[in-house]
Amino acid sequence: MTPLEQYGLLLGMLVGTIGLILCLYALARQVGKNHSEPGKDVPATSGQLSRDPVWVRYHARYYGYALLFLSFDMEMAFMYPWAIVYKQVGLVALLDMGVFLAILFLGLLYGWSQGALRRQ
Amino acid sequence: MTTVFILISLVFGAYLVAVIEDWALTGRFRLTAPVFSALALLGRESVLPRKLDRVFFEVAPVLLLLSAVLAVAVVPLSPDLIITDLATGALFINAALVYVLVALLMAGWGPDGAYAMIGGWRFLGQLIAYAMLIVMPLTAVVMRAESMLTTEIVVSQAGLWNIVYQPVGFVLFFIAAMALAFLPPFDLPTSKGDLAGGVEAEYSGVRLAVFRLGRLVLIITLAAATVIFYLGGWQGPWLPPWAWSAIKILVVTAVMLLGGRMLPRIREAHLLSWCWIFGIPLALLNIFLVGVLVLVFP
Amino acid sequence: MITGARLGTLTGFRRLIASAMSHDLNVFLVPGPDIARAQGLDIESSGLQPVASPRHANVLLVMGPVTPALQEATAVIYAQMVRPRSLFVLGAQDLSSLPAADVEAELSQQGLIEGVNRLRRVFSESAFRPSISDFDVPILQIRIEYTCSMHPEIVQDEPGSCPRCGMFLIPREVQSMAEHRHMNHQKINTDAEIPVTFTHNHGDHQHDASMEYTCPMHPDVVQNEPGSCPRCGMNLEPRESQTESDHDHHHMDHADQGNMNMDHDDMGFMSMIDVTKDLPRSEDGLPMEWIDAPFGPFFPGLPGGLLLLLTLDGDAVARSETHCLSENTELVQSPSMEPPNFIERLTCVNPLSPIAYRLLACRALEHAAGIDISAETARARIGALERERIASHLGWLALFAQQTGFDWLMRRAASLQLKFLTAEFQQIKVLKPSVLALIKRLQQTPLLKSRTANIGQLMADIVSYGPVARAAGIDNDARNDDKICVALGFTAVKQIRNDVLARLQVRLDEITHTLMLIEAADAVVVPVSNTVGKISSSGEARVETPRGMAHLQLTLENGQVMTAQLDAPSTYHLNLINPMIDQQELGDALMAVNSLDLSPWEVLQ
Repeated sequence: MTPLEQYGLLLGMLVGTIGLILCLYALARQVGKNHSEPGKDVPATSGQLSRDPVWVRYHARYYGYALLFLSFDMEMAFMYPWAIVYKQVGLVALLDMGVFLAILFLGLLYGWSQGALRRQ
Repeated sequence: MTTVFILISLVFGAYLVAVIEDWALTGRFRLTAPVFSALALLGRESVLPRKLDRVFFEVAPVLLLLSAVLAVAVVPLSPDLIITDLATGALFINAALVYVLVALLMAGWGPDGAYAMIGGWRFLGQLIAYAMLIVMPLTAVVMRAESMLTTEIVVSQAGLWNIVYQPVGFVLFFIAAMALAFLPPFDLPTSKGDLAGGVEAEYSGVRLAVFRLGRLVLIITLAAATVIFYLGGWQGPWLPPWAWSAIKILVVTAVMLLGGRMLPRIREAHLLSWCWIFGIPLALLNIFLVGVLVLVFP
Repeated sequence: MITGARLGTLTGFRRLIASAMSHDLNVFLVPGPDIARAQGLDIESSGLQPVASPRHANVLLVMGPVTPALQEATAVIYAQMVRPRSLFVLGAQDLSSLPAADVEAELSQQGLIEGVNRLRRVFSESAFRPSISDFDVPILQIRIEYTCSMHPEIVQDEPGSCPRCGMFLIPREVQSMAEHRHMNHQKINTDAEIPVTFTHNHGDHQHDASMEYTCPMHPDVVQNEPGSCPRCGMNLEPRESQTESDHDHHHMDHADQGNMNMDHDDMGFMSMIDVTKDLPRSEDGLPMEWIDAPFGPFFPGLPGGLLLLLTLDGDAVARSETHCLSENTELVQSPSMEPPNFIERLTCVNPLSPIAYRLLACRALEHAAGIDISAETARARIGALERERIASHLGWLALFAQQTGFDWLMRRAASLQLKFLTAEFQQIKVLKPSVLALIKRLQQTPLLKSRTANIGQLMADIVSYGPVARAAGIDNDARNDDKICVALGFTAVKQIRNDVLARLQVRLDEITHTLMLIEAADAVVVPVSNTVGKISSSGEARVETPRGMAHLQLTLENGQVMTAQLDAPSTYHLNLINPMIDQQELGDALMAVNSLDLSPWEVLQ
């Protein structure tokens, strides 16, 4: 199959799955409708009604890791095509990418020494 | 036709995963429990929380199922049983499974509840920990196979399975796969003890059924990915290829589900620091070692 | 006939679904799985599957004592369950705020099994009914009040505009009943484009509030009449004073910082630093918003009946408040009680360790009456007390395992606890190897030490009892003073480091040591009371309950118990929670609270 046909098949599979889910929803709706009562739609917090909004800025403690993750993710985007032609190209490929990885690894070590790799 | 066959076996596989998980949870082997539970969930009300983000709340379980189904599309059960043999197969699995994060974040933000919110953001921290440990071992596998076609990757293991060729990569990939499927001990977003169900808690009825189905399909997809990348896919003597695939996938699933319950839940701080301080250097070392091995033993 | 049925007629597909539901019973336990185990109920083997969230449950199982405060919480849980839902009550209770129980049974394992069978039939017959009625109780009602975002003290019941600044009042939902258990602090409103604050204490509207005047820039300047600030000359703003109510509301010093000054006429450009100047800051200096989340009273990882109100900064605890919703009131029902009734009352006070309290009551009465008991009886009583200590520690292990997601340990510890609750002396000998195997395997678990070390640390100079104190090296065990115990070979088990790992280690070592004590005691007999003549005196006794030393003082008049005072270890341990979980991550905080092994039932008003 050509790539276009493959992606077309994948799209068809997605649409089919969504259709199946919608059929399930319709079946459940057929069984009965929701009965709204007081207190039923408050988020369940183990016995105390808590209507306070929680859509606030969340203090994530892992932002040090997240910055390093960005750089490594960019690196992985380069490594995929490199991995395919690696055996063909040979030792030169190992050295080239080795230098790149070594620089990134030094960045990781630097981040570790500066305290980025811990719960903030 | 292969599509239909694979999807049906996927549903059957999800059923078996449910049975195994029930066995891990209660210690009893009940074959009818998932069927009863699915029917019962269909018949219960599916309550929408007040002041919810409707788009996020509705899309999250569907997206979880869709991303797992997309990832299955590039998994071969035998040399000609694959839905789409994409030229970027290995990369595509990773790309499809990233949407698991999007789904869980949506499920965390949608209901406007404290437990779900914390569960969702915790899973983002978990992703930052495991994401590199999925991608780097995959790169090493692709290096040996010289192609990202999943069928090629399985064929490249004809002499020696990758689990022996790259054991470090296997261990890292296995741990990262468990973290991706938020199985215990990495069940930070849906923990019962910390968050009373977390991300899953606000779903009920048919939406919960779709969420749980998505999770089961995700588990079996990751087990299938482990098998094709490290355990030689369909290769084995005497039995037909699809039987070997099925056996290996079920064994890996059982190990994931049963082994994880022997450990306490990992702290997020520890998961992040261990993955980044030990995991990433080990993965880089793995790539280097595989690079040398590939050149030395052509 | 279940009252929580769904609307519909039971035909065709619905009949199939109803019968599927009767095989798939998910239960939410009230007051909690720890109480269920302590009363000898094996929930899983009866066919019910415990779940963590009421939305996943279709059975609400109420067993054990339910105080009025817990009844409200149970009504909330019932309201949040999705239909079809049912109510299963074990043991006779009066549950006025809940509908009539769908299945009632006696409080025992046979009652549970037989009740589950009835429940299955009821579900398959009446999961869908043609007509249903709402479940409505006062605690679920809300009303809308209107407040100004700049002046949170202005509250009206109808829409309008703020008398002080003219802005439209925004609606806000509050519970129509006075909610005493809401955190008393100021929170940041994120809707306005410039962060402003509004007070969060709805309950105070029903209290008497005296007005104080404070300067927004200098919160420590407080006067009782309006004027201008002596430091900067600004007009003083009114603020309701935070009166101390009977519940322990903390007067948050931090709350004052949030009172931003928004009365500047020139709202020119404000940089992000200015805008976020007065937001609460965490340890790393970032200003973020905090959320309030209640954890309890029926939280699956915490002891049932304990309410933790946490303010979370991300996933770390910024502030916390503890309440025991299972507080008991008077020990002695007025005007006086017969000694046997008093002993029964004290046995029921704490369902997690009834034998220890029974022993406490018996000893106090014997001390008051001057009765001496034989050494053999004393040894047998000690055997029973120590057996309960093992059962209680195993139950704590099961709850600890449930909170840390350690399934294997939870199941093993729960099954051993159920066996130990009613084990005879010979059976204890038979169970000993399994307990020792459990302890050994637990200590060899790979990640346990890294999970529990250095978490939940306490200062060394705090008041604590029981295993919590012994983990810090403090030995205030009541058994040190008991000659018979010492004669049996008792020594206190101690650790040095005062963290969760040490407390876990202390309890494991105590289990091993206690097994040896029981063998030396050679008999296990539950304490029975001796008849007390018509005397008038006072008596006291101390018993080392599994959680610490409990102290009972009582006075007898003419053979009747007139007054009694109980000093239980959990009362002191409640005060340890706040300093221990400050700035800890949520999972660590919950584990630390669990490591104290609190029993909210023995905390008396």
